[in-house]
Order: sequence, then C-alpha cells, then structure tokens
Amino acid sequence: MFPWVYGFEWTAGRIVFLGIFFSVLLVMFLTVAFVFLKSAVHFRTGRAYFIQWKSLFHELPRASRACRHALTGHLPGRVCEGAFECRECSKHGELLEQGREAAIGAGAEEIMGMTVPLDRYYHRGHCWVKPLKKGLVAVGLDELGRRLVGRPDAVETPPPGTWLVANSTAFWVKRNGTAVRVLAPVDGEVIAAGGPSDDWILKVRPPAPLDTRHLLRGDEVRAWYRREVERLELIAGRADGAPALADGGELCADLGEAFPERWDAVCGEMLLDT
Amino acid sequence: MTTALTPSMLLQRERELIRRGVDRCPLPQFLMWTAPWFALLVFGCYAAWLCLSQGLFHTNMDNQYAFGLWIFLDLAVIALGAGAFFTGFLLYVARKQEMKAVINSAVVIGLVCYSGAVAVLMVDVGQPLRAWFTFWHPNVHSMLTEVTFCITAYLTVLLIEYLPVALKNRKLCRVTRYAVFEYELHRLMVVFALLGAFLSFFHQGSLGGLYGVLRGRPFAFREGFGIWPSTFFLFIVSAAAVGPSFIALTTWITEKLSGHRLVEGRVYDTLARISGKILLVYVALKAADTLVWMNATAPARGFAARGFYETQPFGTWILLAEIGVFGLLPGWLLVSRRARASRAVLLCGAALACAGVALNRFVMTIQTLALPTLPFERPAQYWPSWQEAGTFLAVIAFGVLVYSFSFRYLTLFPQERELAFGGEKE
Repeated sequence: MFPWVYGFEWTAGRIVFLGIFFSVLLVMFLTVAFVFLKSAVHFRTGRAYFIQWKSLFHELPRASRACRHALTGHLPGRVCEGAFECRECSKHGELLEQGREAAIGAGAEEIMGMTVPLDRYYHRGHCWVKPLKKGLVAVGLDELGRRLVGRPDAVETPPPGTWLVANSTAFWVKRNGTAVRVLAPVDGEVIAAGGPSDDWILKVRPPAPLDTRHLLRGDEVRAWYRREVERLELIAGRADGAPALADGGELCADLGEAFPERWDAVCGEMLLDT
Repeated sequence: MTTALTPSMLLQRERELIRRGVDRCPLPQFLMWTAPWFALLVFGCYAAWLCLSQGLFHTNMDNQYAFGLWIFLDLAVIALGAGAFFTGFLLYVARKQEMKAVINSAVVIGLVCYSGAVAVLMVDVGQPLRAWFTFWHPNVHSMLTEVTFCITAYLTVLLIEYLPVALKNRKLCRVTRYAVFEYELHRLMVVFALLGAFLSFFHQGSLGGLYGVLRGRPFAFREGFGIWPSTFFLFIVSAAAVGPSFIALTTWITEKLSGHRLVEGRVYDTLARISGKILLVYVALKAADTLVWMNATAPARGFAARGFYETQPFGTWILLAEIGVFGLLPGWLLVSRRARASRAVLLCGAALACAGVALNRFVMTIQTLALPTLPFERPAQYWPSWQEAGTFLAVIAFGVLVYSFSFRYLTLFPQERELAFGGEKE
C-alpha cells in the first residue's frame, strides 16, 4: 500500500490503482473537513441559528411555507424558499420598490372569530411584536397561538440578558409532558419575562432601528390569518382521523382540550416547530 | 433527587424522538415487530462467531465450491443496494427532483446492503485478524482487490451520506451544532453522489469481472474490452437497472406495513420507467453477450455451449427464465405506460426485475462452480450448512432492524407528512 510496506513495487498498475484510491479518500476527507470549517465559520459570524432554522424550514410542509405575497394574491402559489427571511429576499425587495408594502394598521379586527390587533407586527410562528417606548418591543402569542397553546403546564422563557435570534427559540410551551418551541420574531436582548396575567411573554431590546421587514402587517395579517385557520382545519382534521369542514363555528378557546392526544402534533405544526 | 422513569414517561420520551406530524405505532407494538428479527440476528451472530472463532469447517464450502451462499448474498445485496448510488446520481447529478422523495430511504437501503455484504465477507474470508492485509499488501491485478477497496470506500461514503439523515432526527436537529453541520454536509452531497457513482461503477463491474476472468471456468469466462470482460459491464448495467426497482418495492412494502402513504404516485412511475429502460438495455446486452459466448467464446475453448445446460437442475430453462421471465417481461411491464398505470403490475415488474438480478448472481456463483470443467469430473454438490444459513439470515435481520429503526426515528420519506395533509400534486 505504501512504498515502505513489504511487497510494494513501483509499477504502473500499482501507482494508478492506489493513486485513484487515495484520491477518493482525499476528496472524502477534504469535503468533510470543508463542512466542519464552514460550520465553524457560521458560528463565528453568528449565522448558526439562522442556518439551523433554514435547515428545519425545508422540513415544513409546503402549505406552511406559503410566501407572504402569495397570501395577499400578488404572487399566487409562491412558496418561500428563503426561510421567511424576507430581509434577504430579492423578490420581496422588488415588490417593496413597486410600492407593494403593506402598511401597519390601527385598532383590532375580528377575523374568523378571533380578535387580531393590527397595531403590531406578526411573525409566521404566531408571535406578535409590538414596539414600546425606549427602544423595547413586547413579544406575545397572537390569538390563534393562545388558543393553540391553551392552558399550558409551563412556559419556559429565557432569562433576562439572553440574546434572541429571529427564528431561533424564543420560549418553550409545555403541556402533557411535551414541549413546543415558539420562534423568536426578532433579534434582541431579553429584558423581562411576563407573568400569567400579562398579554406579552417577553420584553426584548432589539438593535436599533427596529427591523421589521420580515414581519407581517396590515392586510397581510388578515389574509394570513384566514389561511392559518384553514391550515389548522386540515391539520386538526388529520389529527382527528377525519377531514374537518368549516361549519361556521368559532375556534374553541383551548385547542389542547380538543386534541389532548395530538396537541403536540397540531400545536407544533401550527407554530412551525418541526 | 432524581425522578423515577415511569412507563408512561418512557413512552412520552420515546414519542418525542419521532418526527412531529407522522404516525408511528406505539412502542410496545414496534418492539414486538423487532423482537423476532433481534432473535434472528442473535442466532446469526452466533453462527458467524462459530465460523470466525473455530474456522470455516462449519461451512459446507470446500476447495471446489469456494463460493457459496455468502458470495451469492453479497452479489445480490450489492446489486439491489445499487439503488443508493443510482438514486443519488439521479437526484444530485441528473437533477431528477422526484428522487428527493426516496433518497433517504435509498441511502439507508444502500448502507444496510453494503454493511451486510462487508460483514459477511469478513466471515467468509475467515481470517478477521488478517482482514487488513488486503489493504496493506494489495494485489492490484486482482478484481477482488478492486472490489475490497471500492466497497470499503463506498461504505464510508454511505456512512457520510447517512449522517445528515440521522442528524435530522427530531431531537438531534434541535442541537444547533448538528443542524448546521447537517445543512452544510447536505449542500455538498453532490460530491458524495459522484464518488458513490464512481466507486459503484467499479465495484459492481469488478464483481462481474471476477467471474469473467475465470479461465478455468468456461461457463463464466468471457472476452471483453481491454482488461475488462463483458461481465464487468453487464453487472454495472444490471445493478443500475434493478436499484430503482428495489427502491420502489421497499417503499411499497414500508407503505403497507406502516399503513401510510409515503411518496406520491409519480415517484413510483419515475422509478419504474428508469428501471425498465435500463433493464431492456441490459437484456439486449445480455442476449448479445450470450450469443457471442455460445458461438465464439465457449467453442474457442473447446466447449459446446449446450453442454453446460445438460447438468440438472441447471437446464436451458434457467437461461430462458433469466432473459425472458426476469428480464424482458419486467422490462416491458416497467416501460409500458399502460402497464405501469396499475400499481400492482408496476410492483410485479419491479419484483421480477429484483428476482432476475438475484437469479443472475445465483447463476454466476452457484451454477458456475457446480458445472464440471474436466471430462472425468462430476457436477459438484453444495448445500449450505446451518451456520451459513444463520449468517445469511443475520444479514437480512440486520437490514430489517436498521431500516425499521431508521423509518421510525428518522425522515426516510420527506413527503410522508405532506401526504398526510392530502397534498399530492399530480
């Protein structure tokens, strides 16, 4: 195998054969080494959490990955390939330049029997972000998210001082021995965690100025909410073992009670936790 | 203070290892399914241990019948496992996006087939402590050396390809380090797909070449191109032909056993179409090769081809079955759009194709060695010992177990969750 091993001869056949074999091994080694190196670079540049989310994002069903512009009808049928990171999406940039940016609203609106305040931004994982004074934002679960979670056994929030990265874990909701991860809507430092009586769960200090380009607002929220209720009907129908049809009724306040056995599956899929 | 792990907590924790949104049977039922396979594996490991620790006298092989059940198994599983390299090639190089639906399953099947083959080869060589000699002192003029090097390298490739599949486990993918590594490794999978195709090309070929160069066995000996006899190329083409069929077959079996749809219907169609086309090319090449062998190669060495089919039970039926029933027929079933439209017919074609490659490897191994080569010789008799059969069954059990655990805890069929939504687009 090597020149110093007994029986080795410098013949053409041996050189060609072993040359090919060692080349194959070298390619394998270099490729794996490159992967390690690239991974280390992601950690060093702070992109590791985004890469993790990107990897998980592609595990989501197509129905969960609809582009925000598909929801509003500007780009029908378009599926997001960029992990809902509209800040890096060239198509989103183009549409903004064409003046297709949805405006943040005011007040609240009843959508499919749920109260949806329009004075804030929404993340696709059912968290809202409401700007507060002194550069802080409040982060909470939206109405659909609250009904999905119902009465959890525990909400595990990160301690103050933790740095959140958008689309990484914001907090965990635990129920019946299982845990569902809720995605962080923005980057920022956790300042405080809310109590059971608060409508917010975290107070976060994001880097100034607050970047909300990846979050839904105004008309987008209306379209997204309707779509999410449809998605929930499909998932819940599957969880129940039979297709569910909309009957004009309202969603119950605690979906965990409706699907105690399948809460993890239903809630996880709706909150984009793979 | 530690909390005692109650059975319900254990079940809950086990449930958390399973991908969200897919249904799997309860753990006790799963354990019931695996128990007989574990028993078979233990039995087979004992049989293999006897051979390794006490010697190959436990087998019924001898100096005349040096290749037996194990080599037949090796050749067959390596041919069936070709679905791994070929599916990878179709997805990453030929950009057949439908293959995404089965690539993970194909990798697991490849891993199972090749690791099983390597394990059996270790037992077959019978000198485990000297197994490394083949690498350290390679005989570069031997087809077997090429096979050993390529299979070992390809098994390493398959292990690397399996890593991203394993790291996508629900628990593991929550660890950022693993998720990032998996993501980057997955992006470079084309390199491993190309390496896999390259290595498979040579070791599938060398396995065929191994028989083609047997000058003392005129039933197997073939002329060829350069240093490669025609069997070198026939083995490559036949493996590429049945690989997709075996993937379709295993996918269907998994669907039936799990009770869930795992891939869209068009995936079966694509696998069958590709398999059928290559199978027909193989049948044409095989027929031409047989004609050349009958009319030129064998007579040139002083043998009449019909003489090889006078030894029972290896009559001409075996040749006709190989080319007709297990070649032309499945080829047509898999290529014809009308025939393929019926899932039962498609699967029947795939099963016949897989059986055909197994028959071909049987003919090359068992029939080749059984036929007498000298006028005073009698046909050799061989029946595997229970130790050989046990080791054979252990490989099957090992394969079923690895695949079962992978199916339960990993994402072998990415479309499964989406199909549960009723999201098929055809």
